[in-house]
Amino acid sequence: MGLTVKQRGQNVATFRFVEVRVMEILSAWVPTTPEMEAKLLFGAHIWDTAQAADALGKRTYELRLPLQHSLTPAVGYLQVLDDLAAADGAARRIAAFYDVVLPGLAARYRRYLAQTDALMDAPTVRIIERILETGVRMVREANELRAEMPALKLGETDWLTRLAERERNVAELVVEPEAAAA
Amino acid sequence: MGGPTISVRGVKLRADPAREECFKVVHLYSELWRTVDMSAESQREKLHREYNTEVQGMEIAAQSLAEFPDAPWDLRMEIARQCWDESRHARLYVQRLQEKGGYKGEFPIANHEWTTTCVFETLVARLAIQNRTFESGSMDSMRKAVKVWNDAGDARTAEMTDSILADEVQHVRYANQWINRLGREDPKVVLQVATSMAQLRQMSAALRPQPGDVSVNGVDLVATPHASVRANVEDREHAGFSDSEITAVVKRQEAEEANRFAVTRLERVR
Repeated sequence: MGLTVKQRGQNVATFRFVEVRVMEILSAWVPTTPEMEAKLLFGAHIWDTAQAADALGKRTYELRLPLQHSLTPAVGYLQVLDDLAAADGAARRIAAFYDVVLPGLAARYRRYLAQTDALMDAPTVRIIERILETGVRMVREANELRAEMPALKLGETDWLTRLAERERNVAELVVEPEAAAA
Repeated sequence: MGGPTISVRGVKLRADPAREECFKVVHLYSELWRTVDMSAESQREKLHREYNTEVQGMEIAAQSLAEFPDAPWDLRMEIARQCWDESRHARLYVQRLQEKGGYKGEFPIANHEWTTTCVFETLVARLAIQNRTFESGSMDSMRKAVKVWNDAGDARTAEMTDSILADEVQHVRYANQWINRLGREDPKVVLQVATSMAQLRQMSAALRPQPGDVSVNGVDLVATPHASVRANVEDREHAGFSDSEITAVVKRQEAEEANRFAVTRLERVR
C-alpha cells in the first residue's frame, strides 16, 4: 500500500536530522583529528552530508512540513549517534562512520525505497538514490585511504561490533510525533 | 562555546588544532621559515605553508558548523561547501609539495589563522576575520603568487594557484553577503564586527615581529621588507566589496609601500 504523505514527511524529516547530525560530527572531528589525510577526508564529506540534508530539507516542504524541517529519531539511534560523536582516534572514527553508520543508514534508506510508491513519491526516491550513490563513493574513498595508510585501520574490533549491534537493534528510525510528545 | 586557549606574548589565542607529531608547531614568526627567493627549498616551504593554511581554513569552517548549530541553514551550507573546497586545496598543495620532493613536517608551521579566529565567540566575528580579512588578503597575495610561479617557470603551480583563488572569491563573497544581511537584520552585528576587527588589530600588533627577531633560516624579520602586494581589485569586486572599501585597501597598501621605501632609503643612508 506504500506510505502516506504524512509518513513520507516524517521519514524524510528524520533522515534530515541524521544527515545534519552526521555533518556536525564530521565537523567536530576535523580540528581534533591529528592525521591530516583523515582530516581532509572528513572535511570533504561534510559537504556531501550537507547536500543530503539540504535536499531532504527541501523535500519536507513539499510534504506539508516546514522547509528544512527535522524530526528527532528514535532514542536508541540518538545513542548510536552520540557514541559515534564520542569516538576518539582517527582509526576508530573512520571505522565507526564508514563501516557501521553509513552502511546502516544506507540500509534504512533502501528499506524506505522498498516501502514507498516509486511514482507517487518519485522526488524522494530520486533524492535518496543520489544519497545512496554518494554514500558508496564516501565509503570507497575511506577504503582507499586505509589501503594507502594502514595505520588508519582499526586494530581492535570489539567496540565496533558493539556499535554495529546497537545500530542494528534500532528497528525503526522514525518516532511518531504523538509518541515523542508522550 | 569556546575551547582551550593559550597565551602568546600576552595575547589570548585559541589552542592549536590537532597535528601529527611530524609537525613542529610554533607561534612566533621568529620560529618560522621566511621565504625571500624562489630556490627549490623556498618553493617547498611556500607549498608547505599554503598546505597548512588551507587545512586551517577547513578547520575554522568545520568548527563553525560544530559550534553554531543555530546559524541560518543557507549560511551553514556555504560553510559546509567551504570545508570541501579547503580540503581539495590542501590536497593540491601537498601533492605539489611531494612532487617537488617535499614532505609533511619539512618546515615548522604556525596556526595563526585558527588560533586568532577561533578565539572569537560569535560566528559573524569569525566570518569577518577569517573570510573577509584573512581570505581577502589571500586573494591579493595569490594573484601575485600566480605571476611569481609563472616567472619561476612553474606553470602548473601557477594554474593551481589561480584555480584555488577562484574558489576563495566565493568564500569572501558569501561572508560579505551574510555580514551585510545579518547587520541589516540586527544592528548589534555591525558593532560585533567593528569590535572584533579592532581586537584583531591589537592582536596582530602584539604578535608581529619585533626588532631583532630573526627567522629560523636567518632572515632579519624587521629589516627585510616583505615584497609589496597590490590589492586584487578585480577579485575584490567579484567578492562583493564596495568601491569605497576597495579604494581604502588600495590607499592603505600604497601608504605601506611608501613607508617601506622610506625605511629602506633611511637604512641605506645609515
